[in-house]
Amino acid sequence: MENIALKTSNLTKFFHDPVDLQVLKGIELEVKKREFVSIIGKSGCGKSTLLYILSTMDTDYEGELFINGVKTTGRSQNELAKLRNESIGFVFQFHYLLPDFTCLKNVMIPALRLGKLSYKEVEERAYEKLKMFGVEEQANKQANKLSGGQQQRVAIARALINEPTIIMCDEPTGNLDSKNTGIVFDLFQKLTHEFGQTIITVTHDEDFARRSDRIIEMADGAIVSHGHKS
Amino acid sequence: MKVNVNTEIALTYLAARKKQTAVAAMGVMFGVSMFIFMQSLMKGTNDYFEKQSFNTTPHIRLYSENKVADLHMLNTFFKDSSVKIMPNPKQLEQRQGIIDPYGVINLIKKNPQVTNITPQVSANVFYTSGSVQLNGTADGVNITQEDQMFDVQSNMVCGDLHDLDRVNNGILIGKGIADKLSLHLGDNITVVSSVGVTQIMRIVGIFATTIKQTDETKSYVNIIQAQNLMAKDRSYVTDLKVNIKDYNNAPQVALDLGALTGYKTEDWVQANQNLKAAFKIRAVILNSVIGVILLVAGFGIYNILNMTIYEKIKEIAILKATGFSGKSVTSVFLQQAIYIGIIGGLIGLGVGYTLTYFVSRIYIGAGNLRYLPMSFYVPHYVEAIGFGILTTLAAGYFPAHKASKVDPVSIIRG
Repeated sequence: MENIALKTSNLTKFFHDPVDLQVLKGIELEVKKREFVSIIGKSGCGKSTLLYILSTMDTDYEGELFINGVKTTGRSQNELAKLRNESIGFVFQFHYLLPDFTCLKNVMIPALRLGKLSYKEVEERAYEKLKMFGVEEQANKQANKLSGGQQQRVAIARALINEPTIIMCDEPTGNLDSKNTGIVFDLFQKLTHEFGQTIITVTHDEDFARRSDRIIEMADGAIVSHGHKS
Repeated sequence: MKVNVNTEIALTYLAARKKQTAVAAMGVMFGVSMFIFMQSLMKGTNDYFEKQSFNTTPHIRLYSENKVADLHMLNTFFKDSSVKIMPNPKQLEQRQGIIDPYGVINLIKKNPQVTNITPQVSANVFYTSGSVQLNGTADGVNITQEDQMFDVQSNMVCGDLHDLDRVNNGILIGKGIADKLSLHLGDNITVVSSVGVTQIMRIVGIFATTIKQTDETKSYVNIIQAQNLMAKDRSYVTDLKVNIKDYNNAPQVALDLGALTGYKTEDWVQANQNLKAAFKIRAVILNSVIGVILLVAGFGIYNILNMTIYEKIKEIAILKATGFSGKSVTSVFLQQAIYIGIIGGLIGLGVGYTLTYFVSRIYIGAGNLRYLPMSFYVPHYVEAIGFGILTTLAAGYFPAHKASKVDPVSIIRG
């Protein structure tokens, strides 16, 4: 059990609008710690929906969800927000940086929210993360002045600032060219192998998926292959 | 310095939208400065009129009221529960005025609240000169005490009021009487009282108050002259006029004195009912104007924060995704409202003060009012900024609450 980062049991979800539709059908899923998992499937198969439930942002589902061995189903929004702040990092298809802030601030904000470190320490750590992704020179620029690839790297740095145990990505490379995709992929691999973080990513990018540790394939709201590669 | 991250985000948002922040703050500024200005104007005017009313009205007036026959003797005699009926009750025949006035004065002086007390004999009279007659009231007073209490000196146009004590048949008349009867200082005037006593008096002074009606009817004579006019003895006094330390206590002290002496007492509040009514009406007008201004300012803030939230909805979703609770998001937006309130409020204090100051320099010059009466009363400023911030809080709460309810999933997935 200690080795499990994330586990679901009989996860089911319905969309009610415009017609009742079962998008997830009894998903049973286990992700080990330090694993780099890709979820693939056709558009509308429910993979993004699954990711948002796993992320604890979507609480409108049936079944149970455990993160790091703790049951999150039925917790209050505020408790979940705290949990996300501490142990889950996000990378979205679009970078979603806060344009009014500098890159450095963008990376710092989740850590400041967590409030475990002093301002100075947070600043240093944020700078370190930016350096890791090679965007340290942009640290004091407004977020909206950067190129798409740079912004995505800043966004990933932000996801890592609190050193979460799980990083979730929704099409992290969907907006990137092949060079940037390569950079991001190498970093992800480094994170799982060197820093012991778990990565769950939803992607259309077959190439990207193939290079991850495990591919989970979904179709029509169910998992068709758990893809135990290793 | 450790700044809370919510505060930091709030401040960054405000700084990123300087123009809108300024407009919102200006709304609050208008509200706060108008609040101060209007309150200062109202308090200034009210204080002025209150002070004015004390130039003619004592804090408390004590007089003997005509009594109407009642049933109390019958009730004392027939102690049973029989129903007593008195058809057509008549006024009791009794001595006019206050019995043993100087005894009563000494009694009243024992009350520690009382600062001044003076007897008065009021006489209804006709002023005659040549063929013209005017009616009015002659107040028989001790002019030195009267001057102490009502500052008669400040109303004097010509002559010396102390001549009333020196000249045997002296009289001070209002300017209106002098004009109508074409009389001047040193002229003689014939005064006929309601009981038919005629006296020829010499004008030793002319006064002008701000009230035309007073100037056309009122005159001061020595108290002894007034007693003569009424054909009464030296102990005849119709009113006792009492001033006390704090005129706001007048109603209570009036009750005490009434109970002590058994005479009817009337405090200045009762005597100036319409003044009080005017105060109240002005307060209603003023408060509704301020209310509207603050409401408009509040809507401005509401609107601007609402727009901010629509614009920033994706950022709010991200904040929530990265672990900001609903409470934190509320705090971010509520803080923006508070800062707008504080900035606008502080500027409003300055503007309000300046406005009040300059208006207080406007020359009016009507009656004995020279400049517009404005008060500089500190609690107004405290209230103003308090109301300003309260309004922004109320206006900011709803958008902030809405922001906290943003569902990150639906926004991020689009």
